[in-house]
Amino acid sequence: MELRPRVLVTKIGLDGHDRGARVVAACLRDAGMEVVYTPPWQDIPAVVKLAIEEDIDVIGISSLATDHLIVPALIEALRAAGAGDVAVIVGGIVPDEEVPALIEAGVAQVFHPGAPLARIADFVRSAAARVRATRFPDAR
Amino acid sequence: MPHPDRLAAILAGERTALARAISMLENDARGAAALRAALRGRCGRAHVLGITGAPGAGKSTLIGALLGAFLGRGLKVAVAAVDPSSPVSGGALLGDRIRMGSHAGHENCFIRSLSARGQLGGLSASTGAVVDLLDAAGFDTVIVETVGAGQSEVDLARLADTRVVLCPPGLGDEVQALKAGILELADLLVVSKADHPLAGRTAAELRDMLALRRHGGAHPGAGTWQPRVLEVDAAAGTGLEALLEAIEEHRRAIGCGRRLQAREAEADTADTAALCARLAARDPFVTSLGGEFAGARPGAAEVALAIRAQHLNFNGTCHGGVIFALADTAFGLASNSRGRLAAGIDAHVTYHSAVHEGERLLARAREISRSRKLAVYRVDVERADGTLVAAFTGTVFITGAHPAGEGTSSRSAGGA
Ligand SMILES: Nc1nc2c(ncn2[C@@H]2O[C@H](COP(=O)(O)OP(=O)(O)O)[C@@H](O)[C@H]2O)c(=O)[nH]1
Ligand SMILES: [Mg+2]
Repeated sequence: MELRPRVLVTKIGLDGHDRGARVVAACLRDAGMEVVYTPPWQDIPAVVKLAIEEDIDVIGISSLATDHLIVPALIEALRAAGAGDVAVIVGGIVPDEEVPALIEAGVAQVFHPGAPLARIADFVRSAAARVRATRFPDAR
Repeated sequence: MPHPDRLAAILAGERTALARAISMLENDARGAAALRAALRGRCGRAHVLGITGAPGAGKSTLIGALLGAFLGRGLKVAVAAVDPSSPVSGGALLGDRIRMGSHAGHENCFIRSLSARGQLGGLSASTGAVVDLLDAAGFDTVIVETVGAGQSEVDLARLADTRVVLCPPGLGDEVQALKAGILELADLLVVSKADHPLAGRTAAELRDMLALRRHGGAHPGAGTWQPRVLEVDAAAGTGLEALLEAIEEHRRAIGCGRRLQAREAEADTADTAALCARLAARDPFVTSLGGEFAGARPGAAEVALAIRAQHLNFNGTCHGGVIFALADTAFGLASNSRGRLAAGIDAHVTYHSAVHEGERLLARAREISRSRKLAVYRVDVERADGTLVAAFTGTVFITGAHPAGEGTSSRSAGGA
């Protein structure tokens, strides 16, 4: 039996525009995933606790201003809590020159505005499958 | 058995271990059955609080307010929030926990969003196992949020110890419709959003309905508890204290672990029915009579018989011996249904009306009393329309053996 992907779509930091996050969350749901979503302005400890309790495989952070700059701290906190295997992706407005630092910090992928939703869904699905496979090695 | 370390982590309430175990149960992944078995016998301590009501009724918001109160008292609280899944893709958007407020971050709190997985609007098939897990992990209170549609209200009635049904204000005619299903299971009926101008009227309508029902019949499975109506504004906290008191009062009255008793009773019934079916099938007299085993639970059994020409006496009506034999068969199965060999030592019958060829009779035996050595049964023989044909009472002597062919120490032939 397939373990259905569990995804968190959230926003950390100060920016409150969550239309993009909602669209992506609905798209992932329609692609057959179980999506937990939250309002904006989440703090890092809350996201880490949620990700653990909800057995999240992939966290999608929507960032339209400077929120992506906090993502390395989130990844650090996930690792410290023993959830370093969660794949973190960032979607939104990220200046090209800031992408390498995010990848260096452990971000799995950055999606820019206009990225096709189907491509995002495909990426999330395969990233989730990799996490599931290591967490439940003998599930099938 | 799950890996001992993993089980120990679960029982210690370790967050990651719990979360993984829930995924395993939800997906019925390999190891789920072993985990369910390992949890059996390790739960029954937690108070399970079911919160149900239509989408938007205010369930998650109320749970947020309850969390604040429970956590403030030092309790460990887990929440399983079942969200309706998208029936087309199988995916789900799980947004309940965001309504539960800042308490989600509390270290004594564990919240898990579950998808209903095709059980339209209701409990997912694995919710019971998830509740067992959270119970075994040491949470004092386990709160279950469900939409409560279709079959799920019956499931929730068996799952939760205290069942809270949430009604938003201004239901009007819909209150009438509620009565049929969801109202039947409520221990506490809460009118949500009590700040709304129509809240008082909705509460009054619900009280009227409860009063009507009180005359109509008993509240199923609730013993002596009388359901009551409360008004709560979860956003402002108005009425919350009264609700907390009512929940506590109900917990003291009913106790914890209702779902475990229900499951035990079901397992008993299935085992008993299987035992009695075997005994009836091995009984040459029942077979030659034409008796059909129709069901059993501990201490009770039913046998049916279609009256044919060979069952008639010289008057052309059913022979009294046939009716006695039918009643005696049900008596024999009921008295042996608990797996101890019981031998009939006395029986008595009264006939109430004549029976004709072509009629179908049902003998229903039930236990009146049972001690270590003796048990008394009453058997009603009825027509299909429920009219009484004969009343039978019988007494058995209970031996130390098993019925013949059951267990190891069977010696003598059974039957009453
Ligand atoms: N005014 C008021 N609004 C409430 C109250 N409880 C819930 N709501 C609102 O009702 C809506 C649905 O609440 P939610 O808890 O998500 O309902 P659920 O679908 O039953 O879980 C939200 O907009 C809440 O803010 C209340 O006590 N008072
Ligand atoms: Mg809800």
